[in-house]
Amino acid sequence: MTRRHGPTARRRLLCWTVALCAVLTGSGCPLAATLVATVTAADGTPVPQVVIHAMPVSGKLPATPPKAAQMDQVDKEFVPFVQPVQMGAAVTFPNKDNIRHHVYSFSPAKTFELKLYSGTSAKPVVFDKPGPVTLGCNIHDWMVGHLYVVEGPWFTKTGKDGKGGIDLPAGEYLVKVWHPWMKDEPAPVRIKAEAAGDLATAFRIALTPPPAITHDKR
Amino acid sequence: MKIHSLRARIIVFFVMLLVTVQAVLFVLVSVSGRRVAEQVIGDELVTGERIFERLVVQSTNRLADAARLLASDFGFRTAVATHDVATIASALANHGRRIDASVVMLASLDGGLIADTLWGSTTRDPVFPLPSMLDTARASGRASGIVLLDGRPYQVVVVPVLAPTPIAWVAMGFAIDDRTAADLQSVAALEVSFLSRTADGRWTLHASTLPPQIRGRLASRRGELEGMSRLSSMTLVDEEYQTLVPVLGESPEGRVVALLQRSKREALEPFDRVRAILSGLGLASLVFTVLGSVIIARGISRPVSRLAEAARGIRDGDYTQKVKVETQDEIGGLADSFNHMLDGIVGRESKILRLAYEDSLTGLPNRARFREAVRDGLVTARRTSGALSVLILDLDRFKAINDSLGHPAGDEVLRIVACRLRETIAEDDMVARLGGDEFAILLHGGVGEHVKEVTERIFARLREPIDLDGQPVDVGASIGIAYHPTHGDDPDLLMLRADVAMYDAKRGHAGCATYDVRNEDGRRHHLSLLGELRRAVERDELSVHYQPKLDLRTGGIHHAEALVRWIHPERGFVSPGEFIPFAEQTGYIRELTRWVVARVIRQVDEWRARGLEVRVSVNISTRDLMSDDLVPEVERAMARGGTPPGLLCFEVTESGVMEDPARALATLDRIHALGIRLSVDDFGTGYSSLAYLKKLPVQELKIDRSFVMHMADDANDATLVRTTIELGHNLGLEVVAEGIEDEPSLALLKAFGCDQVQGYLIAKPMPADRFEAWMLERTATATLSPALPDLSSPRTRLSA
Repeated sequence: MTRRHGPTARRRLLCWTVALCAVLTGSGCPLAATLVATVTAADGTPVPQVVIHAMPVSGKLPATPPKAAQMDQVDKEFVPFVQPVQMGAAVTFPNKDNIRHHVYSFSPAKTFELKLYSGTSAKPVVFDKPGPVTLGCNIHDWMVGHLYVVEGPWFTKTGKDGKGGIDLPAGEYLVKVWHPWMKDEPAPVRIKAEAAGDLATAFRIALTPPPAITHDKR
Repeated sequence: MKIHSLRARIIVFFVMLLVTVQAVLFVLVSVSGRRVAEQVIGDELVTGERIFERLVVQSTNRLADAARLLASDFGFRTAVATHDVATIASALANHGRRIDASVVMLASLDGGLIADTLWGSTTRDPVFPLPSMLDTARASGRASGIVLLDGRPYQVVVVPVLAPTPIAWVAMGFAIDDRTAADLQSVAALEVSFLSRTADGRWTLHASTLPPQIRGRLASRRGELEGMSRLSSMTLVDEEYQTLVPVLGESPEGRVVALLQRSKREALEPFDRVRAILSGLGLASLVFTVLGSVIIARGISRPVSRLAEAARGIRDGDYTQKVKVETQDEIGGLADSFNHMLDGIVGRESKILRLAYEDSLTGLPNRARFREAVRDGLVTARRTSGALSVLILDLDRFKAINDSLGHPAGDEVLRIVACRLRETIAEDDMVARLGGDEFAILLHGGVGEHVKEVTERIFARLREPIDLDGQPVDVGASIGIAYHPTHGDDPDLLMLRADVAMYDAKRGHAGCATYDVRNEDGRRHHLSLLGELRRAVERDELSVHYQPKLDLRTGGIHHAEALVRWIHPERGFVSPGEFIPFAEQTGYIRELTRWVVARVIRQVDEWRARGLEVRVSVNISTRDLMSDDLVPEVERAMARGGTPPGLLCFEVTESGVMEDPARALATLDRIHALGIRLSVDDFGTGYSSLAYLKKLPVQELKIDRSFVMHMADDANDATLVRTTIELGHNLGLEVVAEGIEDEPSLALLKAFGCDQVQGYLIAKPMPADRFEAWMLERTATATLSPALPDLSSPRTRLSA
């Protein structure tokens, strides 16, 4: 958990950066607005681990280099359960268990296979197509992890409170949410980010957990 | 139906009992056997159902394991992920073969059919044929069931292909066919059939273990399954099946059911065997029971029949048949008892016969036996025209012997007499004792001389003194004789006539008398005399006659003896000797005496009133002396007319007093106290001692006529009479002699000093009026010629 950046901390950091920038320069820096999306289930409970992704309506994406990401295997589970990554990102799959894992994906966005290994695999996997990538372990059937490959840098994942915030430059965006158990993808929400204006939007999604596949976690 | 024979009853009882028990047992076994069989069948069917369920679970697990193995194969998953249909199809076929699955299919997540082993690519339907199972699998991760696939039943399992989330569905299944049915049959021992019903209500028979013929019938009757209950009975080609119909699978495609059946006949077979054994056993035991019953019943009934036969024999008087029963049981005991009883009966009967026909004292035949002998003798005599005589013998003065020496002495005398009589007569003649001192003798053969000879022998034997403990005792006897055919042709008549003759003999002191038909008057019917005597009193047939007594000292008549006379309207004169003894025997004498006494008192009173004073003597019988009411009655009668007691005299016999001296004496004392004169009648015939005579309050002695009658011819009698007269005088008694019939006797008596005489020589007994006339006449005569002897007049009268 220590390695994960909480949205609040991140937002706070952003605010400080923007404020410093404004004080130091006084002008010129593109204005940034913070989008806070709240995801709740049908009964109003907040849903964590939901990917929130904002796509500029213009389709213009900054040439921000994708950040590397990693999907750990801890105690025979993929950690985190859902991991959004920017298209083109190189993801490493460090094995924190003292047994071997055989991570694979048959997802259309990225089909790969990391044959039996321990520790960190030799080469990170680069995800160059957008879309969900379901990760499995050929040895442990119950191990399921999800990478969600998105275009552009504007994405985040809801926390326990079901909220996720994205700092957006001014402009118009289509905001989408994704969760592996989501049955129907809600329609994208169009928002307009303006300078120094906070945005809020809310999504209501229905999740259908997969049938419990009984496997002893051994 | 009534069964009378004991044997038949025993047999019928046992057979009925056995048959009933057997029948009940048979019914019980049949009913409960059937019930148990049905129960067992039901249990077997339920067990079969469970076995089937278990088999289904096992198959499901096998299918699931195989499908899961396939679904988790990384290569297969790769093939699925990469839509490598050819590889997928070969993997499906490969894994299907591993467990001998009938069908393997791969469905896409959206319900399309990606690959299968059933139809192949050519006939492939792009839609997975079991969408409902997919729904179940989506909801619960897997699905299994027995479903209709292509119209045929399959057991199908659906599992997901996970990568690691479901990317497709693998369906694997076994066909439910004859092999499945056979497997189940081999485990559960039931007939198994599988049928299905499609959504449109069509039933199809898919598999069955039933023989083809029955299977065909089942197929044709599959429609009946529609409304059939879970457990029911079904008859297929004469074979009754208990049927259980568990529903195996229900899906939109249709319903699959199993038909588990068990033949009732097969299940009942053991019970039928038991029933057959029972029947055999029942039949055998019936036979044995009948045989046993017959034997036992014969063991009872045969001896019982023998007993009954013997009893019939005894009834008919056959005592020679003893019952022969050898057995040691109760019947044997009964037969023993029966034989003992028979012995007892024989013994008792002979004793009874003896008692009936024998006199216990003397051992001689008794009256009954004698009567029979006479009867038999008469029969013979009639046939042979022979003669036969009956003698009745009565001992003289036996009563005196009894009275003076005691009954044991009397009995001894009777025994000796019996013995002597027996010795006297011939072997084929008979001596019997009729009772008391009366004997009877039956003589066969001639009459007259022969009989006379016998009687003389008897008298000769009896004259021998009998020695009783050193004391010689003389016994005399009177014999009456009656002959056949002269005097009768009937035992009773002969005996009666012999008896009459005997009385004649006794009365005449003749020793022996033959029945005289002239004496028959008034005797013939003496059995009816008593009744007639009673009527005689009522009809006034009786009268009192008076016989004067001559006073020898004065030559006057002052006394008379009252004598009863009976003039029977038909028979005429009936002798007192004939009816007085009967009156005494029956006790009627008391009435008679009272009647006479009353009549005499009245007569005496009448005469007295007319100036005729006569003292009248009345005979008082023994019974009168024993009766307490005589004296008061006499007293009353006398009181009525004021009769002076001195005009009455009661004559009592010696033997009468001796019978019960104390009581007689008491009565005599009371009579004496009334002032009535007392006289001892028939003196000399008894054995009374003179000393005793002294004690009696009598004033008069009357010498018995038997001494007086012959005194003129018999010196002994004369001496006896004289002695008696002297004796009487010495005792202060007047002496009267009766039965005087001739002059010499009168002279003698006069010489002896006798006080009074009575007899035909003086006068016969006369009725009261004649007596009165006679007296008057006599008094007149005496008055006219007082010197004349008194004797001429009565004699004249007599001769007149």
